[in-house]
Amino acid sequence: MTVGEKQAETGTAVPPQVLDGPFSTRQLLRIDEALRLADQGTGLVFSVYVGHFDEDESIRTYTERLHRQLAEPDKSVLIAVSPNQRQLEIVTGKYARKRIPDTYAKLAALSMVASFGGGDLAGGIIQGLDQLATHAGKG
Amino acid sequence: MIVHPTRTFLVSLFRLGALGLSVTDTLLYFVGVPAAAVLVIAGLAAIGGRKGGGGDKRYRPGRPFNFTPVWFLGRPEQLADSAGTALAAGAQAPALTSRKQQQAGREAPAGGTGGASDRW
Repeated sequence: MTVGEKQAETGTAVPPQVLDGPFSTRQLLRIDEALRLADQGTGLVFSVYVGHFDEDESIRTYTERLHRQLAEPDKSVLIAVSPNQRQLEIVTGKYARKRIPDTYAKLAALSMVASFGGGDLAGGIIQGLDQLATHAGKG
Repeated sequence: MIVHPTRTFLVSLFRLGALGLSVTDTLLYFVGVPAAAVLVIAGLAAIGGRKGGGGDKRYRPGRPFNFTPVWFLGRPEQLADSAGTALAAGAQAPALTSRKQQQAGREAPAGGTGGASDRW
């Protein structure tokens, strides 16, 4: 199912909220595919958040709170990106951390940040997902 | 019909060149027509650009970038809060509003998380 079909299904003239986000339909489909492949290949739960980080608390605390909202935080990996604050956080759960050590998460973060610095949000996210999933291996 | 010689001279003065165009005709063909073409193309480009040709959506580091926060999951049923159940109805990767995010996940922190952070 594509984003366009979802709009037709709801029967309203208002486009789905996800289209107000930072990505075009084509980029959304690519991210969707990358997430699906990462989930299937590793057995972990990958998740991507793109938005503003609350400045009331530290960025790490905020992203860890987002991570806890997932159904299985222990085996989840959250990639949180704030384009305006130019900040990237990768949060791995207790079990996911054994599959993806912090050093490899940092490596993925480095390559993602290189893409983000060039203005390519979707490309960086897809690259990071691929790197993290490749390192986590088969679950 | 007899034409006065002075008038013939005046007419020939206004029809110079191989094409024999008057000054008005020259202006019309060589200024008016190109200007009309430029306006039509500029108009079409403006309409195309406004329809979301990607101009506003492009992220440039350091410039303010307005968008609705999004949150994607490979499997939408993996989200713990109520928003997740609503989103699970569609197979599309879900997006949450920041309001929905504030509603959930305020319990005690779980230890043992790892990861990395970076800036650009």
